[in-house]
Amino acid sequence: MKIVARDIMDTGFHTLAPETPISEAVNIFKQASQEEGRRLFGMMVLDNNGDLVGMLSMYDILLFMRPKHVHIWGKMDDIDLTGIIDQGLDKAKSIRVGDIMSQEIVTIGPDTHKFLILDIMIKQHIRRLPVIEDGKILGIVYISDLFYDILDRFTEEDNQQ
Amino acid sequence: MISPKHHTLSGKVVADAMRRGINRLAADSTVSSAISILIKYKIGGLLVTDEDQSPVGVVSKTNLVAAYYASLPLDSPLEYMMTSPPLFCTSDDPLERALEQMKEHQIYRIYVKDSESDLVVGALAYPDIVGMLYEFCSRCPKSAFRKDSVSEDIKRSTIGDCMAKDIKDVASNSLMHQVVEELSMHHIGAILVTDESGRGVGVISKTDLILAYNHGVPLDTPATEVMSAPVRSCSKDDMLEKAIRQMIFTDVHRLFVKDSASGEIIGVFSLTDAAMNKSGSCQACVVSRIQIAS
Repeated sequence: MKIVARDIMDTGFHTLAPETPISEAVNIFKQASQEEGRRLFGMMVLDNNGDLVGMLSMYDILLFMRPKHVHIWGKMDDIDLTGIIDQGLDKAKSIRVGDIMSQEIVTIGPDTHKFLILDIMIKQHIRRLPVIEDGKILGIVYISDLFYDILDRFTEEDNQQ
Repeated sequence: MISPKHHTLSGKVVADAMRRGINRLAADSTVSSAISILIKYKIGGLLVTDEDQSPVGVVSKTNLVAAYYASLPLDSPLEYMMTSPPLFCTSDDPLERALEQMKEHQIYRIYVKDSESDLVVGALAYPDIVGMLYEFCSRCPKSAFRKDSVSEDIKRSTIGDCMAKDIKDVASNSLMHQVVEELSMHHIGAILVTDESGRGVGVISKTDLILAYNHGVPLDTPATEVMSAPVRSCSKDDMLEKAIRQMIFTDVHRLFVKDSASGEIIGVFSLTDAAMNKSGSCQACVVSRIQIAS
C-alpha cells in the first residue's frame, strides 16, 4: 500500500532552467506532457548546479499574460480586442522562466505521510510538491496522483462488495 | 438625477480606486523573488513583512534599480534594500488627501489600511486612479467614443495639453550604469535612447532595468542591448482619452509624444501624468479632474 511520498512521487519528471525564455518553456510543457502521458501544469526549475530554485506553473505564465487593467476594460462593451494577445506575447519575449517563477517553494521529504502531504497541499494551495533528500531531488508528488491513490481505494471497496 | 458625489473626484474615497489584494514578501526573501513578483503582477512595489506578518517596509522598482547599481547579489534579503517604514492611508480617506500624501512623500504607491480592522487591505497607485477616472469618463454621455455622444462643441483635451515637455535621453552608445545614473538623477521611470541624429531608437524603463538585473546583465553593457524598441508613441494632437486607452489596454505606462507634422519626439505622457493632471477626453466636467498644483 502506498503510504509516503516515496510511494506516490513521479520520478520521471522534467525540469526547466531559469534562463529559458517563456515561449520555450511553453513548448517544454507540451513536450513533457506528451512524454509523461499526463497534462503538466507546473514544473521544477533547477539552476546550473542542479539545485531547485523555483517552480513555474501555468498560473505564473497566465498571471503575466493577464492585462493589468482588465478589471476596468472588462466592464466596457465598446472594446476592440484585436491585437491584445499579440501585444502580450510580444512583451513576453524578453521574459525568462526565472523572472516569473515562484521562488517561495515548499518541499517534502521522501518519508512524508500522504495525509500530511494532502494537508500541506490544501493549506498552502499547492498542487505539486518536490521531494528532496539531502539536497537531492528525488521526485515530485502531484495532487492528481494523491487523488487517484485515494480514489482507487474507494473503487477497490466497491468491487469487493 | 445623479448625485454630485458621482460627478467629482472630491466625493471619492481611497476604497473606490485602490487595488485590492496586495503582494507581500518576508523580509528575508531574496531580491530575485521580489523581482519575480513585480514582473508577474505588473506592479511597481510590494510590501515587506516581518515574522509576525507585520508590514515593515516597501520594495519598489526604484529600490531594485538602486540595488542593481550597487551590484547587490540577487540572493540578498529584502531587508538590506527596502524603504522603511511603509506609508499608509485609510480606506475611507478622501482620495484627494491620499494623493496629496503621495505627492508630498514623492511616492507612486501608498498602502491602504482598513479603517476598522487596521489590516492592510490594498494599495493605491497612479495608474489605478487613471483607470477609475477612465471608467467614469467612458460612461459619460459626452464621451467622444460613444456613438451617441451628445456634444460636438466641447473642448477636447489633447496630449499636447497634458504631456511633460522635458524629455530626458541618453545616447545610444551609453552603458547601463549611465542609464541608471540618469534615471535616478531625474527621478523618472524611463528614458529615451537616441542615435547620433537625436532620433529616438528605443526606451529603457525601470522594468527593463530590473529584468536586466535579474538576468545578470553587467552594468557596462551597451544600453542598446537592453532597450525596448521601437519607441511607443502617440501624436501631440491625439485626444487624451485615446492615449490613456492605448496605455490601459496594452500595459504600457508611458507614450512618447510626436509632433504630428515633423514626427519629432517633443514630449512624454505617462499614466502618472494623467493622474496628476487630468483625465478623460474633454473639459466638460473639469471638477472631476484631480487638481494638484505641480
